[in-house]
Amino acid sequence: MDIQKKKSREPGLYRIVNDIGYAFGIGAIGGSVFHFIKGTSNSPNGRRFAGGTQAVIMNAPRLGGSFAVFGGLFSAVDCTMVYIREKEDPWNSIIAGAATGGFLSMRQGIVAASRSAMMGGVLLALIKGPALMVNK
Amino acid sequence: MAANHSSDHESNANTRLYHPYQNYQVPINAQHLYKLPTSPEFLFSEESLKQRRSWGENLTFYTGTGYLGGSVAGASAGIISGIKSFEFGDTTKLKINRILNSSGLAGRTWGNRIGVVGLIYAGIESGVAAVTDKDDVWTSVVAGLGTGAVFRAARGVRSAAVAGALGGIAAGAVVAGKQVFKRYAHI
Repeated sequence: MDIQKKKSREPGLYRIVNDIGYAFGIGAIGGSVFHFIKGTSNSPNGRRFAGGTQAVIMNAPRLGGSFAVFGGLFSAVDCTMVYIREKEDPWNSIIAGAATGGFLSMRQGIVAASRSAMMGGVLLALIKGPALMVNK
Repeated sequence: MAANHSSDHESNANTRLYHPYQNYQVPINAQHLYKLPTSPEFLFSEESLKQRRSWGENLTFYTGTGYLGGSVAGASAGIISGIKSFEFGDTTKLKINRILNSSGLAGRTWGNRIGVVGLIYAGIESGVAAVTDKDDVWTSVVAGLGTGAVFRAARGVRSAAVAGALGGIAAGAVVAGKQVFKRYAHI
């Protein structure tokens, strides 16, 4: 049965904003759970809850931010590729992964950036590999 | 099925022809038998009248705009403070480094904070709307209250109450302002 395409799935600024929010939410909420458990287990008895919340306050926004930067860059490059190539492909995501990995390590120099780009591309190729195989 | 019975009431412009095997590549020559409505199909007619974002879309939209807005604002403020911190005799590479450092730091910090605010606000608003089944000004005000309170909860009850009041007032002002804007700005 045909389902109307939601506005947040069409390439454009709305989709980029939604993907940033999605990535930030995953990073912040997942990071909160992880750091709360780590904080409570690392605190002395009687101050466990306070220790857990302190760890969450210190770490969760930072984690959310890094996930959001990654997701935002990825989504922006993905939408740009869709716009340029005028078709929706797994290749867009692979190139977007490589570009994100490279861009985020650009300050470490060209060698580190190319290595990160290759890792990002390989990671996305592994994720989108089945889609590529099925479509061929 | 309900679709069959309601197809007699739809005009031809509002329907889409539905072929039962349209998603499958089978060599069956079935005709386009069914005329389905083009609006999203809901089981109850009250559901179809609600024009609200789902909670997932609400969450991602508010968080995303909060993070983007905070990042851009923080980065601009950081660029300005980076330019102000130029010293006499700086090379270009050093100047670029200063600007990148300060804008990156300020952008990251403010983006994270406003993103967290957006996340909490969207979560509370979706929760209140789901529980009370209403979506008016008071939902936003309660959500603003809750966001301020949670955000400053670690600093004590008094700080949380003040921040909650500020958040509620701000949320109410934004919603009221949006309605006034829509009414008088002809957009």
